[in-house]
Amino acid sequence: MIEINQLSKVFRTEEVETKALNNVSLTIKEGEFVTVMGPSGSGKSTLLNIIGLLDSASAGSYNLLGNEMVGLKERGRAKIRKQQIGFVFQNFNLIDELSVYDNIELPMVYNGVAASERAKRVEEMAERLGISHRLKHYPQQLSGGQQQRVAVARALINEPKIILADEPTGNLDSKNGNEVMELLTDLHANGATILMVTHSDYDASFSQKTILMKDGMILSEKQQNKNIDIVVNS
Amino acid sequence: MLRNWVHIFFYNIKNSKFFTLLNLIGLSIGITGLVFAILYWNDEHSYNAWNSQKEKVFEVINGMNENTEWHTSVAPLGPEIINSTDKVASYCYLNDWYFSENVYYNDKKELVENILNAQASFFEYFPFEFVEGNSETALGDNTIAISETTAKRLFGNEKALNKIVRYSGNDMVVKGVYRILGKSSIRPDMVTNKIEQSLKNNADSWGNYNFGLLIKLNDPKDKESVIKTIDDIYYRKKIVPVSKELGLSPEEFIEKYGEFYVKLQALKDVRLGSIDSGLPEGQGNPQFLIIMLGLSILILVLSIVNYVNLATANAIKRAKEVGVRKIIGASKGNIICQFLFETAILSVFAIALAMVLVELVLPYYNDFLKKELVIQGGLIYSQLITIFILLVVIAGIFPGIYVANFETLKVLRGNFGRSKSGVWLRNGMLIMQFAIAAFFIVGSYIVYEQVKFMSEKDLGFNGDQVVEIRLRRINTKVFDRYTTVKNELLKIDGVKEVSTGVFGFGEGARSTSGFDYKDQSIQGQNMGVDYGLLEMLDVPVIEGRDISPDFASDTISSMLVNETVVRMMKEPEPIGKEIKWNGTNLKIIGVVKDFNLFGLTEEIPPMVFFHIKTISWMQSNLDKVYVKIDADKMEQTLADIETFWNKDVDIEYAFEYEFINKKYARTYEEYVDQRNLFSILNIVVISIALFGLFALASYSIERRMKEIAIRKTLGASTKDLLVTLSKQYLVFCIIGFLMTIFPVYYLLSTWLDNFVFRISISVLPFIIGFIVLALLTLIVVLGRAYKATRVDVLTYLKYE
Ligand SMILES: Nc1ncnc2c1ncn2[C@@H]1O[C@H](COP(=O)(O)OP(=O)(O)OP(=O)(O)O)[C@@H](O)[C@H]1O
Ligand SMILES: [Mg+2]
Repeated sequence: MIEINQLSKVFRTEEVETKALNNVSLTIKEGEFVTVMGPSGSGKSTLLNIIGLLDSASAGSYNLLGNEMVGLKERGRAKIRKQQIGFVFQNFNLIDELSVYDNIELPMVYNGVAASERAKRVEEMAERLGISHRLKHYPQQLSGGQQQRVAVARALINEPKIILADEPTGNLDSKNGNEVMELLTDLHANGATILMVTHSDYDASFSQKTILMKDGMILSEKQQNKNIDIVVNS
Repeated sequence: MLRNWVHIFFYNIKNSKFFTLLNLIGLSIGITGLVFAILYWNDEHSYNAWNSQKEKVFEVINGMNENTEWHTSVAPLGPEIINSTDKVASYCYLNDWYFSENVYYNDKKELVENILNAQASFFEYFPFEFVEGNSETALGDNTIAISETTAKRLFGNEKALNKIVRYSGNDMVVKGVYRILGKSSIRPDMVTNKIEQSLKNNADSWGNYNFGLLIKLNDPKDKESVIKTIDDIYYRKKIVPVSKELGLSPEEFIEKYGEFYVKLQALKDVRLGSIDSGLPEGQGNPQFLIIMLGLSILILVLSIVNYVNLATANAIKRAKEVGVRKIIGASKGNIICQFLFETAILSVFAIALAMVLVELVLPYYNDFLKKELVIQGGLIYSQLITIFILLVVIAGIFPGIYVANFETLKVLRGNFGRSKSGVWLRNGMLIMQFAIAAFFIVGSYIVYEQVKFMSEKDLGFNGDQVVEIRLRRINTKVFDRYTTVKNELLKIDGVKEVSTGVFGFGEGARSTSGFDYKDQSIQGQNMGVDYGLLEMLDVPVIEGRDISPDFASDTISSMLVNETVVRMMKEPEPIGKEIKWNGTNLKIIGVVKDFNLFGLTEEIPPMVFFHIKTISWMQSNLDKVYVKIDADKMEQTLADIETFWNKDVDIEYAFEYEFINKKYARTYEEYVDQRNLFSILNIVVISIALFGLFALASYSIERRMKEIAIRKTLGASTKDLLVTLSKQYLVFCIIGFLMTIFPVYYLLSTWLDNFVFRISISVLPFIIGFIVLALLTLIVVLGRAYKATRVDVLTYLKYE
């Protein structure tokens, strides 16, 4: 589903040049639940953003669902984002001016789903995530856990091929964090492909595969408690 | 503290130079407009203000019937008023126009433009300051009083008193030199007393309304009772004898012809009053004055709104500063004061800039108003201070209160940047700006349409290549002199036709007379003409025939009437009907198609045409020659006419001519000016409003950047985002536009009511106005929004 080959990302500012990703190669199959771990600044978010087409690579190739993504124009990237990818962020990134209902509905609006169909799907999704009674509320009126559930609902509403979650539990207490993790596990059980960044070993234990990053490189891939060492060529 | 405030002020300015500059310019333009309106206002209100008698002196205006009011009175009325009441102290007859004639002193010849003919009491009514002689003895048989300026022209630096000048064939002794102290409804260059003779000749004539009349009341409060006294006099002296003559009872007479009534207008009200005045300096245009004042206030409001909007929007950015101030103990009042202080500094700059603008534009403005306004005198400065205070209070207090009420904790917690607080205020003001802009766009389009309509209107006559040449009278045989001139003119190459008429385009006939036909009484314009005039002007005779030299009777008993007269006569077969006209029997030989004699603000009046010779006194009104010139030889022919004129016709006075089309266009010149003014203001208003929109959209979009980023993440296309960002502005634009429909319709209808010949307000100006406004809105907002959609999503997702 996702094939990344020798991908690099360089940030250039006036003074410094940061190599956020250094020749990363990675494959994620359909239905996999993968976590990315590593110290701060190791390039996790950068990797996720490139996979999510919010950022573009400096070199290398990125193949998503059989299509090359490197060099794609913004218009095409927006199209793939809205059809294939769902995002969950550490800080939720809900639109404060819109109600919970409107937030969840938004991706469908951009996908041109009919209004009646949208209403039905929002109701269903809210039911599933236990936020039905909050639909009329605004994000600022919800707790962090509730907000993250709304964010998950929004990420799922279009039934994307892949869900990208950047520290989804980072801003939550352990109870709410657990709830979100159970949600993701559920989704995975139902066949969703998930790529999640986390700092928590506990959260990582929910996944099938953990990728460990450092200094923009992948140090190791750990499959269900089994270690597979990766040859590091520096 | 002040130093701290100043520091913060300049810090903020540095951070938003562009918006501060635009704010400053906007406010300056607004103030400039208001200063102009105030200068105009002050000027109009200064008329007669110097005159100590302004409350007591009243102009007598006579109502002849419902539709006709005359500024002139009959000679016996004044004495009769004094006999009938002791509430009136005195009266003063005067001609309510100026003569313009040459005055000779030794070898010197000066054309004195404004010569007033008045009774000796004139200087009690207009107490000019006498620099030589005195007001009591200035006027008498063969004496004159002259203004300081005239004295200077005639005598240089010599004393004027007792000098003898020649005027109108007589030797006159200068018995007074006066100085006019301010704006005055009568500002003569010279005053004569010749009116006494004509008053004597008409002492018993209750029918000759030849003289302007002013009366002075002992107490202005008696106005109503004096009106009643004069109405009674008219009843006794006019209605009773006239009705007896006609064999009617007074009641029957009133029933048929209506009553004679009188109106009194105090001198202090003459300039801007609602009653038509005949005083020679004319009246102001209160409607236009109000329009000017109203529009300039609108523009100022617009720029204040911009200022307030930007200040409150900016305040969100400054929320932290304010929050910290509050925590360290600043009171609300203190914070409001800080904002007032900032507004005050900006206002000082704005007013200074405005005064520069006023200086620069004033000459054009004076041209436009035909005035000589200057910025001086305490009044305008005290008004400027008032503007300053109002500006500071209005523009400073809103943002001040708004900011002072920020909830400190919310502010410091930091997510205030996206707070909705104050949004309704800004949006409301934005809608108001849209409404004002829409008002200007639609309004000026309607004005434009009306002016276009006037300039293209078929007036019923064709004045192409026809010039009017002034023919001054030198003796009583005016018509013979005209005939000689005509014959000579016809010999000049390029002169196609020559004729005359005792009327002026846009001015009307020199005299009007009432006549009866069956039960109808008609007050017709006396259109004394020479043969061929109607033909020269392409005015068709639609029934019967024009007067012609082939019929001897055409200078004795023939008349033509226009269609309006026929309508008023209610006569289906007017040709051949006889009319008793001022004691002469005239037979209608033709009907003239209606044409616009007056400006388009007035109805086409009833007109009666006859050869000038038909009525013996008519030739005394003859003062012009109409000449039609070959278009190809225009310049040369005019030059030839001028040479001939200066040599053989009038050696005393300069050759004066005017194209009659141009003369007619003067009747709506003021509206052309109004259109131009409106167009200029339109540009100003739209610029200010668009700037406001741009600034507000910028702030609002800046605050929504995170939302934009989220939407982009969810896959929103550029188009989706542009719609999201500009939708609300289009809605505001529509609301503002809808709000303006009724006021525009109402106010412009009122304006159009000035005209008898007017367009009706169609939907076109509204459609065009809406399209223009919506387009401009979209250009501004989309331009700004497009820039926003180009940004890097990650920058805004990362930072909260
Ligand atoms: N826009 C940017 N400009 C310059 N450098 C950047 C930018 N974004 C990220 N970086 C740099 O790239 C490197 C990788 O950053 P990234 O955000 O991917 O780290 P991370 O692994 O997600 O860290 P964390 O666990 O703290 O979220 C860091 O050194 C960071 O400073
Ligand atoms: Mg990160």
